[in-house]
Amino acid sequence: MGLNRVIFSDSVLNDAKKIVSECMGLEDAYCKSRCPMGTDVKKYINLIAQKRYDEAIKVIREKLFLPQTLGRICAHPCEKECRRGKEFNQPLAIAALKRFVAEKADKEEFWDLKVDSDTGKKVAIIGAGPAGAQAAIDLRKRGHSVTIFDKLNVVGGMMRVGIPEYRLPRHIIDYEYSYLYKLGIEFKLGVEIGKDIKFKDLLENYDAVLIAHGAHKGNIIPIPGNTAEGVYTAVDYLKEISLTRKISKPVKKVMVIGGGDVAMDCARSSWRIGAEEVYQCSLEGFDSLPASKEEVKEAIEEGVIFNAGWGPVEILEENGKVVGIKIKKVKSIFDEKGQFNPQYEEETKVIQVDTIVMATGQLVEDITDGLIPQTSGGRYVVDKNTLATNIDKVFVAGDAAGSRIVVEAMALGRKAAISIDRFLNNKSLTEDRDFEKEWFHETKLDIPLPEDVEDIPRLSPNMRPAEERKRDFNEVDLGFTEEQAVKEASRCLKCECKLCMKECIMMNEFGSCPKEILEPLAKHGTMEPIIAYSCNGCDNCTIVCPKQLPMKNVFISSRKDFVKANNGESPIKGHAAIKMHQLLGFSKLFTIKVRGGKKNDYKDR
Amino acid sequence: MTIKIDKNKCYGFMAGCSLPSYSPYGVIKTIEYLNSIFPNFAVIQKCCGKPTKAIGQYELFKERFQSLQKDIDDLKIDEMIVACQSCKVTFDEASPTPTHSLWEIFPIIGLPQEVRGKAKNSDVVFTIHDSCSTRYMKELQDGIRWILEELGYKYIESKYSREKTRCCGFGGMVVPANPEVAKKVMKRRVETLDSEYVVTYCAACRSSILQGGAKAWHILDLIWGPVVYSNNLPPSDVLASPIKAWINRYKAKMGIKNALK
Ligand SMILES: Cc1cc2nc3c(=O)[nH]c(=O)nc-3n(C[C@H](O)[C@H](O)[C@H](O)COP(=O)(O)OP(=O)(O)OC[C@H]3O[C@@H](n4cnc5c(N)ncnc54)[C@H](O)[C@@H]3O)c2cc1C
Repeated sequence: MGLNRVIFSDSVLNDAKKIVSECMGLEDAYCKSRCPMGTDVKKYINLIAQKRYDEAIKVIREKLFLPQTLGRICAHPCEKECRRGKEFNQPLAIAALKRFVAEKADKEEFWDLKVDSDTGKKVAIIGAGPAGAQAAIDLRKRGHSVTIFDKLNVVGGMMRVGIPEYRLPRHIIDYEYSYLYKLGIEFKLGVEIGKDIKFKDLLENYDAVLIAHGAHKGNIIPIPGNTAEGVYTAVDYLKEISLTRKISKPVKKVMVIGGGDVAMDCARSSWRIGAEEVYQCSLEGFDSLPASKEEVKEAIEEGVIFNAGWGPVEILEENGKVVGIKIKKVKSIFDEKGQFNPQYEEETKVIQVDTIVMATGQLVEDITDGLIPQTSGGRYVVDKNTLATNIDKVFVAGDAAGSRIVVEAMALGRKAAISIDRFLNNKSLTEDRDFEKEWFHETKLDIPLPEDVEDIPRLSPNMRPAEERKRDFNEVDLGFTEEQAVKEASRCLKCECKLCMKECIMMNEFGSCPKEILEPLAKHGTMEPIIAYSCNGCDNCTIVCPKQLPMKNVFISSRKDFVKANNGESPIKGHAAIKMHQLLGFSKLFTIKVRGGKKNDYKDR
Repeated sequence: MTIKIDKNKCYGFMAGCSLPSYSPYGVIKTIEYLNSIFPNFAVIQKCCGKPTKAIGQYELFKERFQSLQKDIDDLKIDEMIVACQSCKVTFDEASPTPTHSLWEIFPIIGLPQEVRGKAKNSDVVFTIHDSCSTRYMKELQDGIRWILEELGYKYIESKYSREKTRCCGFGGMVVPANPEVAKKVMKRRVETLDSEYVVTYCAACRSSILQGGAKAWHILDLIWGPVVYSNNLPPSDVLASPIKAWINRYKAKMGIKNALK
């Protein structure tokens, strides 16, 4: 008689459900979970370690169309999550490794040019920055015809006119953007929406519109003298340098106000257009500068003089031109209630400069003539899950919707593209959609550091000497050699749980982790008998499990349920031998009970 | 909890199933010794029913264990001594009779004078394969180390010992269910032991370790058998042959009967 349907007891099902919900076997590594694009960092890093470069670049290209660009300028939130960073303050140089492998192995033949058949729908995208470009790619691949408008004559957005050339050579942007042309995306460059074409007109002529024009309005701080000639916003300053490699007015002595990465870009760019003295000041003290450590270090190497913890109070002018700046020592930045309310000491200094650059934030302009409401910093009001606006066919992505770095802008571009595609296909924007996958997320991974892990220091890529590099626009960072890259990639701890899978041999025959193996049981109440009957019951899985999940209980206790469904017998053929063995083991022929010792009054049977 | 021996009580020794199938000699020598120590003493040779339970036949197991418990009660045994770790766990779960491991008892009653220090000159360095079913029973594990030291053998601890021990591959009745997996587990267990000379205290474990490719002795082999040197081979894998195993079991039964006559 065959095995009847097995009805698993509640305790077995409950244990299975607990395991499926808590097992960390399928959780993303820290690096991957922190990438808004969900790039499988661990996977490509380890392929680099094995010198499997073609495979590595393909893994990157599954998510990122501009690996060489991101390899240079990605703000790499992944590195902040890296376990080696958390444990030893030596995170993997993930971005630099990406650059290495992209330079080494990326080939146009790997570029995925498959495009779905034409849908006849037309999408307009405002802005050729990373958000607009990513959305354009995704929508074009779905068969829609896509036109990108940009007021500049070049592509790349802030990557082109914000991020300095010495960090990101422009030919790289052009090369990586050539992918968009190959896909058949149309570009209308030198066309400003709101001026050359009204936003309203776009709405009439396109089935959907994506606003991705970034945050290009610089912030001018309200201090006396701020309208004098020689005062710039960071965006204007960097844009002019990016497009012309100079500033039309003489720049000899520069004060950059701000402590973030943009301020570092302004300060360092100043050398390259011929400045003789470059200063910085910021409310934040040196140890709490928002800029990345590397940027600060490189700026110092290039001779920028820091006045971190000094706030600007007045710009000094003569004949309407900047001649200096008065700065005051900062006592505190925020008041007791946590509000921004800088307080100063008495101490002041005056620094003579002819140029002042305010790197104190960028705002989003309105290009819709008020059709889409805006909120703080000018960001448009959107549904944060779908990026939809108050107008059905209009969506927003990138910095205009709140991102702050390139890879986030791309993720919002991708998110908007998903919404637009659904909108164009008359599908719900939200149904069956896993929003968590569209952004970075918390991984549930929580595992002990393996015992034998040593603190191996991070390798730095090769930099040109400061005195040489600060006088030209050539790239400062020469990247890794192959030997360095392989060594650096080999430091990866390959973070994953699966500790039980290293202990248990049998589970490896049935899946990659307990969650995967027990999902059918937890979800549908089914399990193959051979799984349950292959467990030795040794408990090593539970011992190493950070959550002490009860795998053995499921495998061993469920046998009772199998037996019940099989007329009291094990469903396993081989267990016929056990049946015999047990009959004999209890039979008179092989058993005895006998009293020894002094025997007292007891008689043998 | 430390064990107190009370010579007014009746102590019962469980010869079990795989141990007599492996070594009737070891069983008989053990009960002869115990019998000389305990004024009130009895022996049972029977299976505890663990295999029945392990394959999921809980009702049948209950029945079978009851028959064993009846034997214990019939013999008026107050406390049981077991030499098998599965027996220990099964008794602890299913029997009202307090049950001790033989490996906890030896350090209390001592080893016979004639075996103490006998292996002082042995050149073997053993490692210990602890049974996984009693991975948390520290006193029981200490007992094995104590015995080795009393005998004069040298040993090293493997990384995967005591509570970190790994399964020998025999547990859970996997051998007949999924022989390939069991084989892999056996090989892996041997790879994680730090000497090719292995001491076990379970007859089934010993068989698995042999199949995994190392040399294994049961602790009773070391107590009652000849001194082991590095050029000696371990006793053959009797349990691999059902016929030999059943013959042994029968021999053990008859030997027990004789010994306690
Ligand atoms: C100086 C600076 C340095 C930075 N460094 C880094 C870095 O190292 N790493 C990092 O990850 N991020 C960095 N960022 C942030 C990053 O550049 C942005 O987050 C990202 O570029 C935003 O992408 P986006 O597509 O939303 O907008 P953008 O890249 O700003 O692109 C918007 C595009 O829209 C166009 N546009 C604007 N208005 C109109 C209009 N009315 N009509 C038509 N076109 C219009 C613009 O010309 C531009 O090309 C930096 C930003 C700045 C300012």
